[in-house]
Amino acid sequence: MPDNWGFVFTAYGLAAVVLTLYWRFLVRREKELDDAGVVRQQLRQSSSASGPQAAGGGRLP
Amino acid sequence: MTVAGLVAGLVMACGVAPREETQGNVQRIMYLHVPSVWVAYLAFAVVLVCSVVYLVRRAEGADQLAHASAEVGVLFTGITIATGSIWGRPTWGTWWTWDARLTTVSILFVMYLGYLLLRGMIEDRERGARFAAVLGIVAAFNIPLVHFSVIWWRTLHQPPSLMKPGGAAMPDIIRYALFVNFAAFTLLYAYFVIRRARVLRLEAEADA
Repeated sequence: MPDNWGFVFTAYGLAAVVLTLYWRFLVRREKELDDAGVVRQQLRQSSSASGPQAAGGGRLP
Repeated sequence: MTVAGLVAGLVMACGVAPREETQGNVQRIMYLHVPSVWVAYLAFAVVLVCSVVYLVRRAEGADQLAHASAEVGVLFTGITIATGSIWGRPTWGTWWTWDARLTTVSILFVMYLGYLLLRGMIEDRERGARFAAVLGIVAAFNIPLVHFSVIWWRTLHQPPSLMKPGGAAMPDIIRYALFVNFAAFTLLYAYFVIRRARVLRLEAEADA
């Protein structure tokens, strides 16, 4: 039987492409969510920093 | 470590393992095809266990792990089907045939694809997780059917070479090459599942 290296390269190449694309999807999605988490945390911190000020202001004589 | 394992697996498959006498070098697809289906079995077994745990304890982590594992399992089942088809063309003379093994593995693929679609279709997260867990348990019954299909029915696909009664009947060098690839693919599976589960957790936190 002929060696059919073309089929071997196609199979390995296809698997490499699929796995790399999935890995890239995971890395990108994780980075997006991490960045969004940092923004959310900053917003929360800034709102909590301004919150007590307003409440404190109400208690002033 | 995973990348090193995959490189070692590739070297074993294409460099160290001998050329098969009957099929020639095209048989080297086996070192990709068989570990892929092993990872798919493993992934769906994890879905089964995590689904049971979720239904009993309602642990969100178990649900996320089941979801991640199902997705990676579908990915590897797809690779198994594609590489099997590429291997089948020069050896069987056809890309596809409705043989028992090919049909059962296609059903497995479609069932877990349905599992992922089901999760995406139901907006209520808790309800979606519950339905998916039930499907994750039911779909797992297909795994032994896939594995033993080549023993129970007359098929074009060859019978199991490794996991069969009486032990494996193949030269040691081929077995070692396969085991290196099994280890590499298992590491890759673990890496993907850990990352995907983290993404799912972050998504859940963002939605909350």
